[in-house]
Amino acid sequence: MVADTITLAVASHVSNILLTMARFQALTNNVLDAELEMLRKRLGLDRSQKAELLREVAGLAAWVVRQAEQGREIQARDAQNVEPLVHPALERVRARKARPVGQSLTLSDSEVERLTAVLERPFNPPAGLRAALASLAKVGRHPPKLRWKKAVAA
Amino acid sequence: MPVRIEALGPDHRPLMTGFQNQHSSLVEYLKRYALRHATKDLLARTFVAIDDAPTGPRLAGYFSLATVSVDRAAAERHPNLTRLPRFPIPGVLLARLAVDTRVQGQGLGRYLFEEALGRTLQLAKVGPVAFRLLVTDAIDATAARFYERHGLVQLSDEYPCRMVLDLRPIIEP
Repeated sequence: MVADTITLAVASHVSNILLTMARFQALTNNVLDAELEMLRKRLGLDRSQKAELLREVAGLAAWVVRQAEQGREIQARDAQNVEPLVHPALERVRARKARPVGQSLTLSDSEVERLTAVLERPFNPPAGLRAALASLAKVGRHPPKLRWKKAVAA
Repeated sequence: MPVRIEALGPDHRPLMTGFQNQHSSLVEYLKRYALRHATKDLLARTFVAIDDAPTGPRLAGYFSLATVSVDRAAAERHPNLTRLPRFPIPGVLLARLAVDTRVQGQGLGRYLFEEALGRTLQLAKVGPVAFRLLVTDAIDATAARFYERHGLVQLSDEYPCRMVLDLRPIIEP
């Protein structure tokens, strides 16, 4: 009996969540549709021009994202009123740009100390390996500057 | 402008098309498989060297890392490895390392090798897994000499291209 009550309570809780999610979904889809419809009218496009609408919106968004990637702030100015464009997506772009995944290797201080200690103890690696380890242990390690030669004919 | 190292992602797709190398397999891997392996199949992760040249960014080189397991019986000529119990020896595989033909001979290959080695050492020291070897398969005699200079040695006569570096002397406390 008790188990039945619990099952019933859980089932009702789950159905409430599903109902809420469905309502949320409907609301967001409606809001999105309304926003797009508004944009379509403002951009002077017909109902049949959905592809054009998406292309133009994507073009505008791409410009905004490019500016954010270059570290530029986007503002709406009107005389003395200045309104910066703030959006979580732009924050993500900026954060990703500031610390891209997998960027050049940076060893911590303890890792550098450890590598230095390895090189100082009786360990006789080939010159190339010693140089590689020493380079990794060096603070401010730089990649080479490249000069591009003309393509070699195949 | 400096070269930067980035994990290969969809953003690099336009840069991949211009990559040139004397080994068509290395070009083909980058253009056809590297991104898929890194993002979908999870077989290897590729890191690319992007050079911000005045004419626009260019992909100057890349290396791919994966995991590997070396047959313990194949390591008979390596005294330190023969002391290990008869289990497969785990390692990180430097699956590919390539530099664009137009920027070869300027130290980028060495720099990419250092990056691969540094990432491997970091993982070996502080990562949640243990492994013993850095392994690679030299694509030709020039590559084999390059890896030899960096301490890798041929695994066995049975696998003439396979070269290994025992990481224990570098990562032991």
